[in-house]
Amino acid sequence: MLKKNFQKILFFIFVIISLQVYDAQAQRFPKPEFESGHTQPVLEIPESRSDFMEYLDVFILFLALSLVSWLVIKKRSRKGVLWVSIFSILYFGFLREGCVCSVGAIQNVALALFNPNYKIPLTVIAFFVLPLIYALIFGRVFCAGVCPLGAIQDFFVLRPIQIPLWLQKLLGLIPYIYLGLAVLYATTGTDFIICRYDPFIGIFRMTAQFSMIVLGVVFLLTSVFVARPYCRFFCPYSVLLNLFSRVSKYHLTITPSKCVQCRLCENSCPFGAIEQPEQLKMNESRKQTVKRFVVLGTIIPLLVFVGGWTVSQFHETLAKVHPKVLLAQELVSLDTISQSDTITEIDSNYVESIEIEAFKTSGESYTELYADANEIIKQFYIGAWILGAYIGLVFALTLASLSTFRYRKNYEPNKGTCLSCARCMDYCPIEPET
Amino acid sequence: MKINTRLWKIIAIIAGGFSFVVCTILIVNYIQLKKYNPAETEVINSLVERLNENPEDIQLREEIRMLDFMSRKAYFTNQWQVRMGGYLLLLGVLVLIVALQILKSEEKKIPSLTEKDNSIFTQKKTRKWVAISGVAIVIITLFFAFLSHNQLSDTFAEATNKDSVLVDLDTITETVNVEVEENTLIVEQVDTTSELTDTVTITITETVISDFPTSKEIRKNFANFRGYGGNGISYHKNIPVSWNGASGTNICWKTPIPLHGFNSPVIWEDKIFLAGANAQKREIYCFDRLTGKIHWTANVKNVPGSPATSPAVTDDTGHAAATLSTDGRRVYAIFSNGDITAIDMEGKKVWARNLGPTGNHYGHSSSLMLHQNVLIVQYDTKTSPKIMGLSIKTGNTVWSTARDVKVSWASPVVIYTGKQTEILLASDPGVASYNPYSGKENWNIESVFGEVGPSVAYADGIVYAMNEYASLYAIKLGDEPEILWENMDYLSDVPSPIATKKYLFVPTSYGVFACYDAKTGEQFWEQEFDNGSYSSPMMVDGKIYLMDMGGVMHIFSASDKYVAIGTASLGEASMTTPAFSDGHIYIRGEKHLFCVGSK
Repeated sequence: MLKKNFQKILFFIFVIISLQVYDAQAQRFPKPEFESGHTQPVLEIPESRSDFMEYLDVFILFLALSLVSWLVIKKRSRKGVLWVSIFSILYFGFLREGCVCSVGAIQNVALALFNPNYKIPLTVIAFFVLPLIYALIFGRVFCAGVCPLGAIQDFFVLRPIQIPLWLQKLLGLIPYIYLGLAVLYATTGTDFIICRYDPFIGIFRMTAQFSMIVLGVVFLLTSVFVARPYCRFFCPYSVLLNLFSRVSKYHLTITPSKCVQCRLCENSCPFGAIEQPEQLKMNESRKQTVKRFVVLGTIIPLLVFVGGWTVSQFHETLAKVHPKVLLAQELVSLDTISQSDTITEIDSNYVESIEIEAFKTSGESYTELYADANEIIKQFYIGAWILGAYIGLVFALTLASLSTFRYRKNYEPNKGTCLSCARCMDYCPIEPET
Repeated sequence: MKINTRLWKIIAIIAGGFSFVVCTILIVNYIQLKKYNPAETEVINSLVERLNENPEDIQLREEIRMLDFMSRKAYFTNQWQVRMGGYLLLLGVLVLIVALQILKSEEKKIPSLTEKDNSIFTQKKTRKWVAISGVAIVIITLFFAFLSHNQLSDTFAEATNKDSVLVDLDTITETVNVEVEENTLIVEQVDTTSELTDTVTITITETVISDFPTSKEIRKNFANFRGYGGNGISYHKNIPVSWNGASGTNICWKTPIPLHGFNSPVIWEDKIFLAGANAQKREIYCFDRLTGKIHWTANVKNVPGSPATSPAVTDDTGHAAATLSTDGRRVYAIFSNGDITAIDMEGKKVWARNLGPTGNHYGHSSSLMLHQNVLIVQYDTKTSPKIMGLSIKTGNTVWSTARDVKVSWASPVVIYTGKQTEILLASDPGVASYNPYSGKENWNIESVFGEVGPSVAYADGIVYAMNEYASLYAIKLGDEPEILWENMDYLSDVPSPIATKKYLFVPTSYGVFACYDAKTGEQFWEQEFDNGSYSSPMMVDGKIYLMDMGGVMHIFSASDKYVAIGTASLGEASMTTPAFSDGHIYIRGEKHLFCVGSK
């Protein structure tokens, strides 16, 4: 077994390197210098996708979501979900190169909410909203087989291990933080970090920075043992889907009829999303529970404040990601370096970044740049307070939720974390009632 | 449906093997290409060099074209191979994964029943880890916040204030004049009312279009008197330490200079600039740095406002004592009669104007200095001493600030204090600092007096100024600049000192050279040479190069002990400061321009 896994690892390393080969060669060859008067062709920017095709994409998304919902809720067909997954990888992944995707659309929506000058396309709104509507009704059917990011990982789930519940819960906090950061960077016009650090986009497009290809392959490799690591522990959109899905009315059930407690499905979910029956509350007195509840209720505002204050102290570091702040910082540093008075203080290898060169040739004013950068830092100060408070709230509510107890008679999917992949259904021996 | 396990196993093995082979080929291809860049082949490069030597060789030209074409074809074929390889690899991986999944689906589904943890215990454990991770996040965040200091905002605010002055000035000159006057500074009226509109329009354009080199470019060259910022330090390396002008040892070339002058060479890439003048003629020369050949000579004549006769000057100053300045776009020169001009790199006049009479009894010698798009002129004349900032493109006055000082022969030094850029000037009655963007005086401190010749030196927050019969002053900058220490042992009347964080090097015109502790003024050593120096010493690559009046270069270590490294004679007298570039020294002798270095 070890040998087999080693071979697989070796294989994926080969994949990484070979993809990097392609990327490294893409830009290195300079344009020829013609003496014959030949003029270089003008750089052409490809036209954006036509409106019709964009609406077609939305329609296909709608169809795919409906189909998966039907397959999961009515047909209870894992195989059907699998085929839709293949279609999603091919269409939403390779053909449409992973864009627009619902995960990244969070940022467009956030930017549109905070920046009235940003005109968000209707199709992007549709990509953002449709999966949430379906989650509200049927659970996370989008994750089941429509999202190409999830689908590609799903295919690599070969030897999944069960992660301890406490660790799952802990890692499950990461998407909340990622979501907060993504919204902060989107609303400040800094960057769409979800897209920039989308680990699978490079694979879908067959080109990306080497580091991103590595990241994608690492996620796929991890998927062999830890099912869908990106979906469960990183995807910021999963936060919203999780919340919406919790109240879904027609969520899938493991058994089509009455659970006979055969325990066959107990470990069938590679995502650890099956809740086991809880018969009686034990080991804790009512007094202890009430006391903890009061303490947690009291510390919620405190955690919100501590979170806000802590991240606000970090706001300049967060702001350094903004290209204008980065450029202004480089210009100030360059000025300092250039004015150093001894040889040892000068880094002889210092090379001006292309951004600085571009800025200098653009003719933009230094003053405006510095003033803008300062304004952005102020925005980040407020944003960091909000982000920190939000993270504090997430921690506080998580702690509070870990103090509540639910009685459960049967094996049930956790509506929040269940990805509606329908694997568990195959393990259930109960036949649907006709 | 029964799955043929054996068949899928074979498919998986074949797909895996196929992917492995494709992967290997791609990697081998990558390694090969790493070593071989089709755009930079030695063969083509050497052929191109040959073609440069013989541009009429049609056959060679065709041969290069053919080779170039083949290289490019090979490259694009290779690109196609890589792309195809990528697709094949993807296909292989896809088949492998499908096969593995099918095989997995055939595995017996054995329910794995495990004893579950008590949920109360699990919740407790989870609470503990959530709390620990929360605390860890807070600590790590605060740690990094502490490291980053949160000072960017202040830095940008300062930079905004600094640069906004330039924008104000460039946008509306008139407004700035009013503002400066409100600050009790006397500002010269820039232009007549009728010309004001033009001035404003031009200067706005300059703000928008960046037309000055980067600091790195300036350091790479030798753009003005005493190197970068005029501070006496050059950042070049591998500079020779021995030569002999008489025998020609290590003299790459020497070229006669048509007209006399005491200005020092300035260098931009492969061009060296000098000026020469007498009472009738004023000329600027561009030498080829590699061969010494004079590329062009620019005659400075018909300058509007130029006096009919040149002022009387002494022989030891002459009509062309001020060193030129260049930004690689233009070269700027000023002469004893107040003519100032900008010549482009091909020798064509860009602009010229006359700044008015100097009233200088020896002759004007303050060298020009550049800061971004402003040409800084220390014009401490007898009747209306001032510092001016001229537009590098038009020569128009961007700002001009009157100074209550006596005539000075020193040159401006531009420094960066860590907070702001300042221009430092030395003249009787002291040292003053100006904002290079507005010309506003930052501070002044009474110190040097008399006929001030040496420029200041600066290092680590301390300005060093001196003059013969006055004193040597170390002025510590701060909210209120103050004299840190003072020393009268060795003073200079012409050459300028050099400062580093640790040491201060003081030349004299009577032959003694001294080294002090920069912070305390304690003397480390002194060394007496046979001749004195009018040339200012330069610090290069940890060594001091001091040219004496007899044309002998004394080279010694820039340290707290005098360690002689070499002595080299030029074979003719030299009063100017050497320039350094690309492992060579360029020295203006009495009659020749020398290039010293390995041939």
